[in-house]
Amino acid sequence: MTACKESISELLHDYLDGVLPSHKNDMVEAHLDSCEACRQELEALKTLFGAFQSEAMDVPSTRLRSSFEEALEQEKAGQGVVHIQAKKKSWTSDFLKIAAGIALLVTAFQSGRILQLEKSNQDVAALLEENLQNKQMAMLSLMENQSASKRIQGVSYIEDFPNPDEAIVRALANRLLTDDNDNVRLNAFEALAKFSSSPEVKTVFIEALGQEKNPSIQIGIIQALVKIQEKKAVIPMQKLLEKEDTQPFVKNEIEMALPKII
Amino acid sequence: MKELSDEIIMQKVSTGNLDLLKVLFERHHRYVYNYLYKMSGDAMLSEDLTQDVFYKLIKYRSSYKNGAFVSWLFSIARNNLKSYYTRNHRLHVDIESISHKTVDDGMEKNEELSQLQLALGKLNESDRELIVLNRYQEIKYEQLATIVGSTPGAVKTRVSRAMKKLKELYFENN
Repeated sequence: MTACKESISELLHDYLDGVLPSHKNDMVEAHLDSCEACRQELEALKTLFGAFQSEAMDVPSTRLRSSFEEALEQEKAGQGVVHIQAKKKSWTSDFLKIAAGIALLVTAFQSGRILQLEKSNQDVAALLEENLQNKQMAMLSLMENQSASKRIQGVSYIEDFPNPDEAIVRALANRLLTDDNDNVRLNAFEALAKFSSSPEVKTVFIEALGQEKNPSIQIGIIQALVKIQEKKAVIPMQKLLEKEDTQPFVKNEIEMALPKII
Repeated sequence: MKELSDEIIMQKVSTGNLDLLKVLFERHHRYVYNYLYKMSGDAMLSEDLTQDVFYKLIKYRSSYKNGAFVSWLFSIARNNLKSYYTRNHRLHVDIESISHKTVDDGMEKNEELSQLQLALGKLNESDRELIVLNRYQEIKYEQLATIVGSTPGAVKTRVSRAMKKLKELYFENN
C-alpha cells in the first residue's frame, strides 16, 4: 500500500482516540494488518499519548479560587436584584402619567419663562446701576472742573439722582460753601434744597448762612430753613440781622422769617 | 446540578444566576490554567491570566451566545494570553526560554514528562496550542476550529501534522 503515508497516518490519531466513523475505523484496521510501518507509527503514537495521559495536571494555588469567589461576591453585591414586573397597566394610570407629564412640561416652561424674565430684569437693573455710577463719577469730576459752567453742569446732574448718596451731598455742600462763583453756589443750593429734610443738608445750610455774602443765595437759604422749621437757624439769622453789610431786603426777609420759626 | 451541561449552566448565569458560575469554575479552572501554563511556561502569569478569564466570564456573562461553552472559555483564555504578549512586546514565545523553563520545572517530575514538555517546547506556538488544546483539554475539532478561527477539517489536518512533528521531536531525544 503506497497511499498509507498521508491518508492513513492522519487517521491514526483519531483511531487511537476512538472517534473515527466505523467504516474508516475498519479501513485503518485492515491497513494496519498489512503495513508494518504504520503499525510502528501507531505504537509510537500510543507511547506519546500515554505520556500525555500519565502527566499530572498542574494545579494552581488556592489564591485563584479565593479571588474568583471574592470577585463573584462583589459582582453579586453590585448586581442589584432585578425584578421584571409584568403587571397589567390600566388605561387610567397611563392617562395619569401623560397628564403628569404635560403638567410637568407646562410648569417647567412657565418657571423657565419667569426665571428668564427675572434675569432680564436683573440685567436691566444692573445696567441702570452701572449707568448711574458712571454718571455719579462724571458729576463728581465735573464739579471739580476749572470752568464754572462745567461745575454748574455737574451740579445739575443731581436731577438724575432721586436718592443721592453721601459723596454727592458732600460734593454739593462743598460747592455751596467754597465755590468762588455765585452761580455755582446758587445752583448747588438749589440742588441741595430738594433734600433739605436730611440732617446733613440742614447743617450745611446753617453753615452757609453764616458765611454767604450773595443776597439771593442768603434769601434762598433763609426761605428753605423756614420751610423746614429749623430752630438752629435762628442764631445765624440774628447774626445776619446785626451785621451792617447785610442787604436791607435780606434783613427784611429775616425779620419776616424769624417769627415763623419761633 | 452536576448533570447540567456547561451551556445550560452558562445560560442560567447570563440571565442572573451568578452562583452557578462556581460550578463552571470548578469544572474548568484547572484546564484553563494548564492551557495557559503549557503555553507560557510561567506559573504566576498563568494564574493571573486564569483569574482574569473568570473575571471576564463574570463581567461579560450576558454576551454569551449559546455556543459551545468550552470554545467561548478558551477563546477568552487565548485572547488573554495574546493581549498579554502584545502588551509586553513579546509576539512570539521564545522557544529556548520555554524549554529551559520546562526543564527546570520538570526537575521534580519524572524523566518522561520532561521529555514530552521538551518536545512540546520545540514546536511552534500555533502547533503547540493545537496539541495542548486537543490533547490535554480534549477539545473536539469543531470547538477547536471555533477557538482558533478555522474550519474543523483544516484543524483536523493541522492537529495531525503537529502531532507528527511532536512525535518526531519526542522520539529523537529518547
